[in-house]
Amino acid sequence: MTEQTNEEEPLDPQRREFMAKAVSVFAGGAIVSIPVGAGVATLFSPLLGEGQGGVRIRLAAVEDLPADGSPKLYQVVAERSDAWTKYPAKPLGSVFLRKLEDGGVQAFNSSCPHAGCSVGFRARDEVFYCPCHESTFLLDGSRGEVCVSPRGLDSLEVDQEKLKEGEVWVTFQNFAAGIEDKKAI
Amino acid sequence: MKGFFNWIDDRTGIAKLTREALFERVPGGARWRYVWGSTLTFAIMVQFITGVFLWMGYSPSATSAWESVYYIQNEMSFGWLLRGIHHWTAQIMVILLLLHLVQVVIDSAYRAPREFNFWFGVILLFLTLAISLTGYLLPWDQKGFWATKVATNLAGVVPLIGEDLQKVIVGGSDYGHHTLTRFFALHAGVLPGALVALIVVHIYLFRRHGITEAKPATRAGALYYWCLLGVVFGALTVMAFIFKDSAKAWVPWSVAGVCAAIVLRIAFLFIRGKDDDSARRPRRDGMFWPDQILKDAIACVAVMAAVLFFVFWKGTELTAPADPSQPYNAARPDWYFMSLFQMLKFSVFEGALGLVIGAIIVPSILVSAVFMMPLIGTSKVGHWVNVVMLYSLIGGFAVLTAMGFNHDANDPEYKLGVANAHAEAERLNELISINGGIPPEGALTLLYKDPKIRGPKLFAANCASCHPHGGEDGIGGKVQDPSAPDLKGVGSHKWIAGLLDHKRYISAEYFGNTAFKDGKMADHLEDIELLPEDIEAVSAALASEAKVHGYIEPKGGKEFIDSGFDLMFEDLECADCHGIQGEDEGKGPSLTGYMSRDWMIRFVGNPSHADFYGVKNDRMPSFLGMTLKDGAEKPGELSRQDVELIVDWLRGEWPRSEGGKN
Repeated sequence: MTEQTNEEEPLDPQRREFMAKAVSVFAGGAIVSIPVGAGVATLFSPLLGEGQGGVRIRLAAVEDLPADGSPKLYQVVAERSDAWTKYPAKPLGSVFLRKLEDGGVQAFNSSCPHAGCSVGFRARDEVFYCPCHESTFLLDGSRGEVCVSPRGLDSLEVDQEKLKEGEVWVTFQNFAAGIEDKKAI
Repeated sequence: MKGFFNWIDDRTGIAKLTREALFERVPGGARWRYVWGSTLTFAIMVQFITGVFLWMGYSPSATSAWESVYYIQNEMSFGWLLRGIHHWTAQIMVILLLLHLVQVVIDSAYRAPREFNFWFGVILLFLTLAISLTGYLLPWDQKGFWATKVATNLAGVVPLIGEDLQKVIVGGSDYGHHTLTRFFALHAGVLPGALVALIVVHIYLFRRHGITEAKPATRAGALYYWCLLGVVFGALTVMAFIFKDSAKAWVPWSVAGVCAAIVLRIAFLFIRGKDDDSARRPRRDGMFWPDQILKDAIACVAVMAAVLFFVFWKGTELTAPADPSQPYNAARPDWYFMSLFQMLKFSVFEGALGLVIGAIIVPSILVSAVFMMPLIGTSKVGHWVNVVMLYSLIGGFAVLTAMGFNHDANDPEYKLGVANAHAEAERLNELISINGGIPPEGALTLLYKDPKIRGPKLFAANCASCHPHGGEDGIGGKVQDPSAPDLKGVGSHKWIAGLLDHKRYISAEYFGNTAFKDGKMADHLEDIELLPEDIEAVSAALASEAKVHGYIEPKGGKEFIDSGFDLMFEDLECADCHGIQGEDEGKGPSLTGYMSRDWMIRFVGNPSHADFYGVKNDRMPSFLGMTLKDGAEKPGELSRQDVELIVDWLRGEWPRSEGGKN
């Protein structure tokens, strides 16, 4: 079967068929990619925005911390946004505070750097203990004898100026779990 | 009627379709071992039906997910049944999946030309596990939240893309609304959609190739399978007896019983087994309808019965709402992920690389091995390799799972974590009913304002380093070296009577570990040698000031109370140091309104105030903020609300429902 619409401009049927296929495929791909693209863009939107970063918060007075250097757990409840909601007081996590011999104060995020469970303090053994994969951490936050965690507990920044005034202000921050480096998220 | 049917059939071809669906030949006749695929299809149908109805009651957001599940579970008519069926069918589905896989491998139903169907089946297995994993979070309770935190953190260690992957799954850096919306979209939309598409292909391919006829049982073949089973149960029995202290006594004996039954079966096969017992079933081929469908239906009834058994026996758990600031000692995945969870405890998987190997690479290798089965099993030896591999995988799965549960059964911290989460959930139910509903900010706010739940936690964090409460820290932990009075029952007649007993006053129970052990009050109590009736009267007088929860007026009534005050003013010379009933404020702590709510809040707020210990205060911090003499503001460690919560808890004052237990 031959099709010639114009004798002066013969059109190669094979070429015409190829064009028809190519245009169909292209048009089909294009119209599908628009809604898919819009969806994927919103799906990946968390990758574009920056995290909310750390929260500076007062947790205690230095005199409230046990003098023997044993750690005490404080809840971090602060103003925070979550998608469409702005919470005046949202529970974010918890922090261990501990008085040092030199008068300083050490702060650790209680989230286990291994997989993110909440680490507790075992007074009888004087170690931090993760109830999930049984990692232990020493009082100074470093990895204990039995510890599958790739790094020690994540220390948090303590405001030294405020500390001189007897106040413990901490910048609360979460860190990526499961890696050796302490990387803020 | 027939005309009408024909009219439809001419236009749809439905009669042919139905014939094809039902009148499938079952070579060798219908058999029980072919039911697993049908039970799975049934279970998936159940999940779709219950899932859609749950969807009608569920709201995915951080302030409404727990709340809507609570409402489904406790308020909607038969919501508990709907959610129970959905939950327990999901559990039983995992077992059905394993049985289906085992049956397919044993019967070498993966061999050519059915390789693709096997691969689709394995993908379906993992889709189902993914649906379970995403569903675990949706109630947004402590259990689901912490388990998902672990799971998503593990996704974060995937090489190269882990960090971004985690952010996309979680919907940002923090867990919240978008974690729920994303998990819900996966759980109820994307994954079930993929599941349906693959099931259609799976069943199409199954019909295309037909049932793989199981070989007629031979003695050698049967012995081989029963011996394998014997090895698995032998190992389980040995384990059960090694860990017998950690489980109920009937557990190891039950496993041993099953093992003994297997041994008997093997012995029977040796003695009486025939090489071909095909005579026991019809040699003619059966039809799918009704021969196999009858067996399938009976198996599905058994599945439903098992689901309902668990719904009624165990109920469906909903722990306290998710709270990232509230440590949860019982973060565990669902039981079928327990083996992976347990594996990560081993020191070989230590460190960042270990975690990648344990959480990503090893599972990937195992999954790949299962995928390779059709290629390995082309020969008889290959098939044996597959069977041994499958049994080893299931054995490893069972052993690791048992180890995980065994550890938890012996871990007091874990048990305490579970008990606390349950107690909080139960209390929250009570609070919701007292409040008449959940406030718009979410259920967590009710817990945060509840003295019974918040009080002991605040006490443990702020008071228990010195004060015990019945020897404990308020949340079940032991107070190692108490250095201040035990506050359990503080302000009650009994507690005050103990305080007035000199021996007890100078014991660790009261002031034995404080500076007051050698103070004026201790000396005075020793000197005046109070008679039991004096202690009774004074305790009655002071307890009437405190009026803690459960206070009952003494037998003598007001007269007896007044006699106590008279004693304090006159014979016992209490008024020399203490202010009593608003008179003569002395240097010692005021006893006006002693241990009343207001007295206690002021006392905890500033024990160094002249109304209390003044300059003689022994170490007790001031918990409320105050204005210092130089005008500077000194912030307190606690907010006024927190102090009130501690005081109300110590005084036993919290909202109670009518007819509530306590």
